[in-house]
Amino acid sequence: MSTVALRWLHRNLFAKPFDTALSLVVIPVLAWAVYAFAHWILVDAHWEVVGGSLKVLMTGIYPADQLWRAWFSVATLCAMFGAGLGLSVRPGRAALAVAAMVAAAIAGTIAAAVGVSASLLTIASAALGVVAWVAVHHSKCDQRVVLAGLLAGVVAIFVVLSPPGFEVWGGLLLSVVLTIAVSILTLPFGILLALGRQSRIASVRVISTAYIETMRSVPLILVVYWIWIIVPLLSPDTSVPSLLRGMAGYALFFAAYVAEYVRSGLQAVPKGQIEAARSLAMNSWTLNVDIVLPQALRVVVPSLVGQVLDIFNGATLVFIIGLTDFLRAGQMILADPQNSGRTYEIYVFLFAVYLAIGGAITYASRRLEAHLARGSR
Amino acid sequence: MNAIQIPEVTTSPNVIVSISRLNKSFGAFHVLKDIDLDVGRGEVVVIIGASGSGKSTLIRCVNGLEMYQSGRLTVDGFNMPTEADREIGGEKELARIRKGVGMVFQQFNLFPHMSAIDNVAIAPIRVRGRKPDEAKATALRLLDRVGLRDHAHKLPAQLSGGQQQRVAIARSLAMEPHIMLFDEPTSALDPEMVGEVLDVMRELAREGMTMMIVTHEMGFAREVADRVVYIDHGRILEIGTPAEIFDRPTHERTKTFLSRVLRH
Repeated sequence: MSTVALRWLHRNLFAKPFDTALSLVVIPVLAWAVYAFAHWILVDAHWEVVGGSLKVLMTGIYPADQLWRAWFSVATLCAMFGAGLGLSVRPGRAALAVAAMVAAAIAGTIAAAVGVSASLLTIASAALGVVAWVAVHHSKCDQRVVLAGLLAGVVAIFVVLSPPGFEVWGGLLLSVVLTIAVSILTLPFGILLALGRQSRIASVRVISTAYIETMRSVPLILVVYWIWIIVPLLSPDTSVPSLLRGMAGYALFFAAYVAEYVRSGLQAVPKGQIEAARSLAMNSWTLNVDIVLPQALRVVVPSLVGQVLDIFNGATLVFIIGLTDFLRAGQMILADPQNSGRTYEIYVFLFAVYLAIGGAITYASRRLEAHLARGSR
Repeated sequence: MNAIQIPEVTTSPNVIVSISRLNKSFGAFHVLKDIDLDVGRGEVVVIIGASGSGKSTLIRCVNGLEMYQSGRLTVDGFNMPTEADREIGGEKELARIRKGVGMVFQQFNLFPHMSAIDNVAIAPIRVRGRKPDEAKATALRLLDRVGLRDHAHKLPAQLSGGQQQRVAIARSLAMEPHIMLFDEPTSALDPEMVGEVLDVMRELAREGMTMMIVTHEMGFAREVADRVVYIDHGRILEIGTPAEIFDRPTHERTKTFLSRVLRH
């Protein structure tokens, strides 16, 4: 056993003089950094500030007596996530154990930081997610049914969350809901743009290309801000909530990127597929919907999931139109003089949550890539 | 289903494909030169020739996958639009013609994301408006006919080349075509799978299906063809019965070509 370890060390860390020198410098520095960070986390940091302001971090200024709506959203999101998993990942014992451990860790932390009731609700949501995961996997139901269910979930979240007004949405909930809504909205628009760019009709082709290239050459923040100020000019009589204006801006911006991904997918579909469909007298609609797009999208799904991460990270910019997303909520807490010394705690917490969600999305993208590669020729 | 068919050209009703003085170029390259060819209903016409001679291009013109510049091409009484026509439309005519013309490709071109049965059923459902249940029942019958009933729910990637090509034939048959085009259907197959595909084609010929076949399988051509067409450098050099072409070719070029392909 020890010889194996020694051999591993030799091969990977001390194989050549340069490797040895590098290892001798890097390993102690790394060890010291990890120790210092761990010491700060476990001993020095005052995590009460995170526990005490968890409500604001998670939901911003959402009314406290309406929080059941937020919990409904959490439960729905868990169920949607579980259903999505059910399509691609087998709920084996190891996978379920990992899910249970993660849920237990989060619930335990919440119990310690906030209270037992919040912890129980977290456990219930996680359990719902697991049930959805196992149910979808074992029912072997049609992907389209599951996708329709996911869409219904998003609509339900919007319907349930909206009564107190869009202005009060905030925190991590806002970031997540915004990301999901924008990701869904960009898809049909991006597909249309990609098809438009290949259209035989010159005007459609020119407009699509111009749109895509324009959006790709300007910054996100500009588009979001621009849509935000232009909507009231276009419709002075109706006041469209900032959240919806912001969502429109994100969707219009990211649709151009979706279009480019989809276009690369369209180009990957062999010409013979189109000839076969044409020889069967299919019209352009059937050709695209039944033959070309399913194959093209399969190629680009990993990129599209990767883009969800871009949208999630880009959602931090909504503060410029006055919305309180997760990052902004953290800054709001620090604006309270009582918490002035707790900057590091809040930012480390934000970092950890962003890292966890970003990591999960990256992992999902990888899994999907492997999953889809198996079925293709 | 079909609208009233008024053939504009006075061809005999027994002629399904009528080609006269057809010319086709890819840019400056003149691929087909003054092609004249009539195919009768129920006839099996095999087109042979060296690679690059234009034989595939010719049958691809018959269902409009390639556009021609001049001449006349009618299929089932419909005029095939020329390249100039298609710049301003012609989609409807094309779709009408294609409904009656089946095509089998060298590379099979099955839809990889659909099971065999869905491959066969999709066009009847989407193009002819059949009910999914009926279309699938028909598809299963067709798969049975090509000997693949047990493989109906497999994806193309799970089938061998010969099986894929047989699914492709069933897929074309599902549209109930009046004529089938075969573009080198066995050229991409391993030698041991050629036979199973040729058997299916032989069966089709015996049932009276009109077929235009581009192939290098000379033994098969001699056996099933009513007429053999030899194309050389985009021109039809000889047309005749298999016996005439294979045993008594008149052109020196035909002789050279045959001596080259028949030797092995």
